[in-house]
Amino acid sequence: MSERSALAARLAPLLLVGALAAALLAGLDDRLTLESADDGAARAVTAAFDAMPDDALVLVGFDPDVGTYAEIRPTVRAVLADLLNRGATLGLVSLTPDGRALAIAELARMDRSEANPRQLIDLGFLPGAEAALVAVARGINGGSQDPIRADLPSPPDLAVVIGGIDLGARSWVEQVQPRIDGLPIVAIAPTVLLPELEPYRASGQLAALIGTPRDGAAYRAQAELGRLERMVDPAAGPSPAAIIVGLLVAIGVLGQAFGSRLAAVMRAARPRDVA
Amino acid sequence: MSGFFGTAQADQIATWVAALATIVVLGGLLGERRVFGWSQHLLAGLTTGFLALLAITEVIVPRIVEPLVADPGGRPELWLGLLLVAAAAAVPWLPRVVAGVPLSITIGTLAAFALGGAVVGTLLPQLAATVAGREATVTDTVVGVAAAGVSGLVLIGFVHGTPRGRVVSLAAAGGRWLMLAGLGGWLGYLLFSRLVLLVDRIAFLVGDWLGLAR
Repeated sequence: MSERSALAARLAPLLLVGALAAALLAGLDDRLTLESADDGAARAVTAAFDAMPDDALVLVGFDPDVGTYAEIRPTVRAVLADLLNRGATLGLVSLTPDGRALAIAELARMDRSEANPRQLIDLGFLPGAEAALVAVARGINGGSQDPIRADLPSPPDLAVVIGGIDLGARSWVEQVQPRIDGLPIVAIAPTVLLPELEPYRASGQLAALIGTPRDGAAYRAQAELGRLERMVDPAAGPSPAAIIVGLLVAIGVLGQAFGSRLAAVMRAARPRDVA
Repeated sequence: MSGFFGTAQADQIATWVAALATIVVLGGLLGERRVFGWSQHLLAGLTTGFLALLAITEVIVPRIVEPLVADPGGRPELWLGLLLVAAAAAVPWLPRVVAGVPLSITIGTLAAFALGGAVVGTLLPQLAATVAGREATVTDTVVGVAAAGVSGLVLIGFVHGTPRGRVVSLAAAGGRWLMLAGLGGWLGYLLFSRLVLLVDRIAFLVGDWLGLAR
């Protein structure tokens, strides 16, 4: 690698960061919308919430990763505010240490806001991954020795799974759903998990799935949060302008790599033609 | 905006610490490895400390010590669990037959739950969903047939080491290309996901920390 190439490689990330910051500061987000034109995913979530009885109990599997939580954070907060605004009681349980750390932070945040503490049940951390999920299902079915049974006033009407890469909606579908008849599961997951979870949504094993920032933005646009609107930052969500700039840079890098390779192949082929 | 921090002085300090940590990590992109290495050590230390705290306050004390103190004879499974922990800790001094028991139980249990769940929760329902049939709309029917066709081709793509004719070879090649296309699509999702995370960090620096945007 020449000195010029090395310097360019060193400066490229700085230029990317600078371009993203410029996109954020340019004020283009007022003219761009992130919401997906197809709001089917958002409507499915709302329909699942509408189907709950009054004063419903919702079991929230809170296991996002620290690394990917930023992507789903605005949607998660809107979902929690929506459920609380509907009068539901939320029981938060975590099966990963990451999820527990973030659940503690979100519970503290809700405690500082106008959320009614009587609507929040902290079910804590359960170790054991799949085995813990089986214990959760047994506890819901009435196993007196199993965790969470004593803390839940009744069997849940809905499960909302806020998933991450370690443990998420797939594990709930595999371990909890076969053991509890008729428990609908709504999942919120980062984009990277969409290919894994979309088949479960298509087969009906997930009642609803929000798996992209655009679906999340569509849901936030139509959710009625009432006085809990304050729990959700109106400016939350990634900047569409910055995303467009980032994608253009990514396409440029791919094009440059493909072009260099093509040029190398053509250069290699030329002497053979001459020979 | 992360929304984790308020306006109190402690929150301001937390915002500054988070902003400096973000800059240090982004500095790793520019080749600044020493401070970036320290930030990795800091993360590892904080994670270890949090795990220890979580294990003590949410698992060992409330789920093992307290029930055993309250009713020592009423929870035999907890004594059995403690015995397995002791056996795992004493592996270097125990005969191999005994030392292997805790690990075998752990691996066996995890495999049983994972395999059973995969069959009952994923394999059978997804096989049923893949069977093409008449759906509510023509588009759904076409999508169902296409999904069944892709599943079949990808499965044929895994056929190795058996004599096969021209048709099966072509189908297997098609299945492998479809797999590659799927992998490419997944990488696209990964790129988009990571880009959103980078945008979030830049927005944190520009908005929460510097107060310039949004």
